[in-house]
Amino acid sequence: MTEDTTPPGIPHRPIWTGSISIGLVNVPVKLLTMVRDHSIPFRLLHKADGQPIQYQRVCTRDNQVIPWEEVVRGYEVKKDEFVVFENEELEAMKPESDRRIRLEKFVYSLSVDPVYFNKSYLLVPDKSEDAYSLLLAAFRKTGRAGVGMVTLRTKEYPALVREYHDALILTTLHYADEVVNPLDMDEIRKLSGPSEKELGLAEKIVKDLSGEFDITEFEDTYRERLKVLIQKKMEGKTVTRKKPAAEEARKLMDALQETLVRLEHK
Amino acid sequence: MDRIGKVEVSNPEKVLFPGMGLTKRDIIEYYIRIAPRMLPWLAGRPVVQNRFPDGIDHPGFFEKNAPRETPDWITLSPHLTETDRKMVNYIVCDNADTLIWLANLAAIELNITLSPANDPESPDFALFDIDPEPPATMEETVQVALALWEFLEGLGIRGYVKTSGKKGLHIVIPLKPGYTFRQVRTFVHATGILLARDLEVVVSEFSRSRDPGTVFVDYLQNAAWKTMACPYSLRPVPGAPVSCPLSREEVTPSLKPQEFNIRTVISRTKDPWKGIFEDRQDIPVR
Repeated sequence: MTEDTTPPGIPHRPIWTGSISIGLVNVPVKLLTMVRDHSIPFRLLHKADGQPIQYQRVCTRDNQVIPWEEVVRGYEVKKDEFVVFENEELEAMKPESDRRIRLEKFVYSLSVDPVYFNKSYLLVPDKSEDAYSLLLAAFRKTGRAGVGMVTLRTKEYPALVREYHDALILTTLHYADEVVNPLDMDEIRKLSGPSEKELGLAEKIVKDLSGEFDITEFEDTYRERLKVLIQKKMEGKTVTRKKPAAEEARKLMDALQETLVRLEHK
Repeated sequence: MDRIGKVEVSNPEKVLFPGMGLTKRDIIEYYIRIAPRMLPWLAGRPVVQNRFPDGIDHPGFFEKNAPRETPDWITLSPHLTETDRKMVNYIVCDNADTLIWLANLAAIELNITLSPANDPESPDFALFDIDPEPPATMEETVQVALALWEFLEGLGIRGYVKTSGKKGLHIVIPLKPGYTFRQVRTFVHATGILLARDLEVVVSEFSRSRDPGTVFVDYLQNAAWKTMACPYSLRPVPGAPVSCPLSREEVTPSLKPQEFNIRTVISRTKDPWKGIFEDRQDIPVR
């Protein structure tokens, strides 16, 4: 199988180089991918001949296939009515990366709610070991993390730079208006509180099931089963249950079968 | 505690285990706290409740048919008995509210069938009920359970052990679909017969099950509408023991089943039977 089954190991090359900048101080860093999705990818095939199929852009009016050069973007102002943008117009609007992670404030790292976390990247020093380890040590000592803005590719994100396992990492964040406010939901706003006694019992139940968080306790069993199935298919086998083959087991089975027959005729 | 969820609790201070001073409130609390472990066993299965309204020092009664005051939100599983053509409405305890409601009826012990309510003739568990007759003790019972466990292992079958909560041990095997109770019963019986050849203490026949100092491998509960003590059910004997799933390491000659009781089982953080519902297996049959 070509699929990568190892945990995210050493990432190959930086997706971005630049620097963390705090006021006039710059710490040059490289940005590496940190999170890898391990889903097993499938391609779509034509059932009759097993050949890959592909998508085409088709005009909804005359079913003509449209080449990219003839594609523009439209913003739907009301049903079936668009304002049209040329790709160049949109390109001109996009923020340009200044290759800086501009940290403006230092906050307690636990004060940022995880709902805002978008994606995490590993930061490694780019010929700047001393400055990097100084920043790391300062974060660790104060329990704080830096917040600011960063432009990756062509999108601007709020971002958090913090300590993680003896390294600095960058986590891009969602904007406030991208996250639903639970109190906008009637079902949440109208909740009433439980009684003391109910709460006492609920606390005990939570205590019964309390433990340490360990992410390795969880595994993707669907993926594991798929991998086994793929392996079997590659070997041209169908899925069958394996039976113990030892001599002893066979003797045991014989004795059992004999007894079963005897019981049947009783 | 007057109302818990959907249930109006009556006489919460009534003492049900006089020796330990356990009240109905304690029993309800136990069942609420154990519900996450227990409900997967109860859900989708007819239950037979063993009720002790005046506590375990007074006679209790087994109840199959839902009592008249059963609220309409309780799931029922009707069954027409073959012998006397009577309709029995079994209760199916498929949520915590029903479990609380049963506890409020002083249903200290809950027993479940070895087949699902929607297909009562199709067993999904095989049960070996390992039952010592005095002066045989837990030591002999453990010896038999370990021998049986090894025997099953030799056949490539994984058995799961629990305390019965009283004197014995239970070994259960989750089954793949397609077996009849007759096939399962014969397999369990045949295993007992072979075990009795190797171990003098084992008896495989009901007629000898009361012989002093023996351990009976009971196969007879493997039948439609027969039951076993539900995993994590309390048993109505002093000390409030629990029919508790065990790990292999816990099955040793010094095993003390009374140590698995209303006070201790709650704090067991590891589930020794983890994955049992996904471990459905084949057994050799004719």
